[in-house]
Amino acid sequence: RMEASCLELALEGERLCKAGDCRAGVSFFEAAVQVGTEDLKTLSAIYSQLGNAYFYLHEYAKALEYHHHDLTLARTIGDLLGEAKASGNLGNTLKVLGNFEEAIVCCQRHLDISRELNDKVGEARALYNLGNVYHSKGKNVASAGTHDPGDLPDDVKNALQKAANYYEENLAIVTELGDRAAQGRAFGNLGNTHYLLGNFRSAVLAHEQRLLIAKEFGDTSAERRAYSNLGNAYIFLGEFETASEYYKRTLQLARQLKDRAVEAQACYSLGNTYTLLQDYEKAIDYHLKHLVIAQELNDKIGEGRACWSLGNAYTALGNHDQAIHFAERHLEISREVGDRSGELTARLNLSDLQMVLGLSYSTNASMMSESRAVENTFSGTRPRAGRRHSMENMELMKLTPEKVQNWN
Amino acid sequence: SQPLAGRQAAELQSKVVPSKQILHSDNMEMEPETMETKSVTEYFSKLHMGSLVYSCTSKRKNK
Repeated sequence: RMEASCLELALEGERLCKAGDCRAGVSFFEAAVQVGTEDLKTLSAIYSQLGNAYFYLHEYAKALEYHHHDLTLARTIGDLLGEAKASGNLGNTLKVLGNFEEAIVCCQRHLDISRELNDKVGEARALYNLGNVYHSKGKNVASAGTHDPGDLPDDVKNALQKAANYYEENLAIVTELGDRAAQGRAFGNLGNTHYLLGNFRSAVLAHEQRLLIAKEFGDTSAERRAYSNLGNAYIFLGEFETASEYYKRTLQLARQLKDRAVEAQACYSLGNTYTLLQDYEKAIDYHLKHLVIAQELNDKIGEGRACWSLGNAYTALGNHDQAIHFAERHLEISREVGDRSGELTARLNLSDLQMVLGLSYSTNASMMSESRAVENTFSGTRPRAGRRHSMENMELMKLTPEKVQNWN
Repeated sequence: SQPLAGRQAAELQSKVVPSKQILHSDNMEMEPETMETKSVTEYFSKLHMGSLVYSCTSKRKNK
């Protein structure tokens, strides 16, 4: 009687998760666990699905807990395939939590068991997961410093190179298996790894493959991702016209998918690209579009960035009144969100503009020294709070060495 | 100070010469993770199938 009830609850949880309602699914699975069962294989399946549901809900501590229960259980009952799966899921969760070393151990276990069982599908999936862990590890270390793609310390380069190798190994297997969806994923992440390594031509080749597969599946989200990644790579190849074309496709699809945050990102990228093309009118047009959406989404960091970019573009056009307006707004927002680096940039921009307009020199001098003090104390720190998800990985605009030289 | 301001304005414009470095936005778009799945439904349909096969063969044996 109790057994049936646990099973019924679990089946309902499964149905709800499959239908995309993880939140409701979780409550049914948790109720099933409360009721309990003596069938350990059923319990293992419940733990695993609870772990995945929490993973998709971004509750990673809970995901970790349940995948760990699942792993223990699978080992207890000697279910090797179950152990491999639990290890893989645990590895993915540890990766998201930033525990890369343990993640590697778990994903390696997934790989070893899959090979032992001669399970090609499992082997390929474990290789993809391992690639993802090394990619995250490399990116994580890289973002702690201030590096551009291609300009990396050795440990970062090693991790990224390992990621690329795992993606290549994965690709060899999924190509043999004819699994196009898996190929698409591997090409996308391989492309991003090459991008970070500074291999921009290889990045383009991989993202072109990703694009092809996305179109095959009619997967608009993946198509949009590919356009955006292609745009980024072409920026670093110095081919700004091509980059602008890809960013425009991104913008088109973002609008089609009604994703305002992604739309804002595309406008920002286009504004930057037109700045590189020295077409400041178009740059302003896109940065204003970005500003409007950032305000609509109450994204203060994005708004600050838009003001900074607009200030620069108006300066380039010699429209100093507008330039000052946006520089002041940038300063205001930087203070509001506690962005010291942004505050420094805004102060420097303002003092420059004020000099041009013949305003007080003494004010400027004090601003400059204050700014330098801020720079010395807070260099390298970056604000985290309040960032919109799509902006999360965005590099803060840095002062270029030549710009700093100009000031000194 | 007008000519000075003019010169500074020109300098200021030359400072905003675009640089890939300042404009770099590291908004890479990653592919989704793949999670391994287990299912109660699958397990039970297998069990159920197993017992059906068992009952069929045992019925046949009984005949």
